[in-house]
Amino acid sequence: MKKGLVLLTTLLFIATTALTGCGGGAKESGSSNGTTTPETKTDTKTETSSEPFDLKLRHTQVGESKKNRFNILQDVVKKTEGEIAGLSVKLDGVESEVNRKEKLRAEMTNGDPPDIFDAFGSPDVKLYAENGLVADIAPILDELGIKDDFLSHTQWEKDGKIYGLPVGASIEGYFYNKEYFEKNKIEIPKTLAELEAIAEKVKQDGKIPFAIASKDAWVPLMTTNNLWTYYAGADVTKGFAKGETKWNDPKMIEAFAKHADWLKKGYFKQGELGLEYATQRNQIINEEAIMMYDGSWATSVFADKAQSGKMHGKVGFFMMPPLNAGDGYSIMFDSNNGYAFSQKAIDDPKKREAIKAFIKNLYNEEMQLRGLKEDGVIPSMKVEQAKLNETAKGNDLLEAILAQMGEVKYTWPAFDALVQADVNTALSQQIQKMISGQATPQQVGDEVQKVQDEANAAE
Amino acid sequence: MNKALRSPITYFLFLLPALVLFIAFFIYPVIVAIYYSFTNWNGFANYKFIGFDNYIRVMSKADFWASVKNNGFFILFSCFVQVPLIIFFSLLISNVKRLRGLYKTAVFMPSVMSTAVIGILWGFIYDPDVGLLNKILGKLGIDPIMWLSDEKWAMISILITNAWQWTGFYIVMVLAAILSIPKELDEAAMIDGATGIQRALKITVPLIMPIVSVVIMLSIAGAMKAADIIIVMTKGGPAGSTDVMTTYMMKHSIASFKYGYGYSISVLIFIFTLLITLAYQFLIARRAERIEY
Repeated sequence: MKKGLVLLTTLLFIATTALTGCGGGAKESGSSNGTTTPETKTDTKTETSSEPFDLKLRHTQVGESKKNRFNILQDVVKKTEGEIAGLSVKLDGVESEVNRKEKLRAEMTNGDPPDIFDAFGSPDVKLYAENGLVADIAPILDELGIKDDFLSHTQWEKDGKIYGLPVGASIEGYFYNKEYFEKNKIEIPKTLAELEAIAEKVKQDGKIPFAIASKDAWVPLMTTNNLWTYYAGADVTKGFAKGETKWNDPKMIEAFAKHADWLKKGYFKQGELGLEYATQRNQIINEEAIMMYDGSWATSVFADKAQSGKMHGKVGFFMMPPLNAGDGYSIMFDSNNGYAFSQKAIDDPKKREAIKAFIKNLYNEEMQLRGLKEDGVIPSMKVEQAKLNETAKGNDLLEAILAQMGEVKYTWPAFDALVQADVNTALSQQIQKMISGQATPQQVGDEVQKVQDEANAAE
Repeated sequence: MNKALRSPITYFLFLLPALVLFIAFFIYPVIVAIYYSFTNWNGFANYKFIGFDNYIRVMSKADFWASVKNNGFFILFSCFVQVPLIIFFSLLISNVKRLRGLYKTAVFMPSVMSTAVIGILWGFIYDPDVGLLNKILGKLGIDPIMWLSDEKWAMISILITNAWQWTGFYIVMVLAAILSIPKELDEAAMIDGATGIQRALKITVPLIMPIVSVVIMLSIAGAMKAADIIIVMTKGGPAGSTDVMTTYMMKHSIASFKYGYGYSISVLIFIFTLLITLAYQFLIARRAERIEY
């Protein structure tokens, strides 16, 4: 009897433990059983039902410099919650680089990404889409009638399907201290040689020519990327993944060598490899450095008096000039960053409706112009030039950027949208080695090409 | 009742929950890691077995061996710098008559702080322009050092920060061992005319060797799995010079969509850790005498 009692108690304990462990799974499977496919939409039911449900939204608008972008997102979320009964959007802010290269990738591997998430169209989202993790939102865009309102979805398209939407577009170039240029009678450079002459003059003056913070390799690579498009051609990057062009081509090596030459001449801040991206702007703001190569998204920092301090209104913009005057400007212009949506969320009719409302509220002319005005983000949707100019009025920096875009001859997406992830890792490693003097330009080209060959062979 | 407890089935049933958890969270992941390490899995679908290709590729990378070397630095720094300091400070605190609790709390504090906070805190100390260290060096007429940007200094900077974070935790452990030594032993030595240093070196230190052995063991394990402090402070930079095996694995698996390759690195970490701990156990720890008062 006693033996039986002990055994019974033990079994009960084990059963309780096991059932407790299974609790979460049971709940999840219940909710997934309750979902229906998009083909059997229950729109009317969703609109009238006020049963609470959550939508997880992963964004990267963290930190002071992204506060305007975050305000816009919060307004969109608030409006969406007001339109969809029972909806509660859970905002999950993660630093952009961590989200892109670590967190989101791990979530994708587990097959459990957030419902809406900040992502990069190419190559990331396309790879997730191949594995059925990201939803094709072309039907939603058709329903909303905005499919053709975007400047381009190329980086989000695969086999005629659209797997996400760019939140804005951007260009890259040099932000500079206008006052310093005027005081020292420096003209905007028209050739790379003129830019180098300015850098030398600034250095002789005891200032840092180019602000930089290279703890994250993509920051110095913005400069290198622009250099190699001038030396090896605007389309050279597109050929790497296809095996048509090579990283160790002599023209590419010339571009790496030019970057290395600027490093050798001390045109960048010393100790750049230990500095976080956010500190790059501080070098301009505290007038330690005179020029800074960055994306147009940095405009919001210089337009905000609280962030730019005494440099408010004193920062100008020019594009990296070509090798020879008259060759035409070649700049990075892409719309690779935006929002994508999980397939699981789209398969749930209530969530699908919420996502549709989110897209409607974020992707419209009003928000695009607000993004331009408050955050300096170039619209990813088609907006009349007159409206753009009107919105930029009063913001000299923004006006300068918009005006210069008209002078561009060649545009190209950033390299990370065109090469495989492991090539990006190798290039990041090699450029940092070059900066620290551990690799020559030739070694950079050779090492990256090795990884490129492996990546191409694996596809 | 006694008969029931004598039945092996009862014991097995009591063990079952722990066994299930052990299999689910240790054995199963290890088997999965070994399985995928022989594939070219990209983290999603469709993979094929590629034999030892991943292992051959990892072993042929100079950067991987540089990261192994950095793990070695972690171990050596722990054993030959951190452990002597732990013993030294434990002996000091154990002899303090007043405010011993305050000292214990003060040294223990860093170990309860988040690594992110410590990384940022020390980031300020190491800042080349406004950091405390360079300010002090400046006063002494020494040129600023790029602590976290220069590959010559970055690793030692991290080792110092890591030691600062964990030394207090181990001091509390060693201190507990020192305070548990019967006072009579120390008093007897004192009566026999032993000096303070002699008593510390000839009586206290030998008696706390078992706990020091545990501290070394834990330090080795901690050194092999170090990652957070590196990610926060340097992200493995400059140019990979502070990468350890775990951060190297993260860069080349998750960030590169090469999970099969990443798993092969994780299996190697497992093997290396196992070999080092076994070697330590057999060559050193087992030789330590059992202490009986």
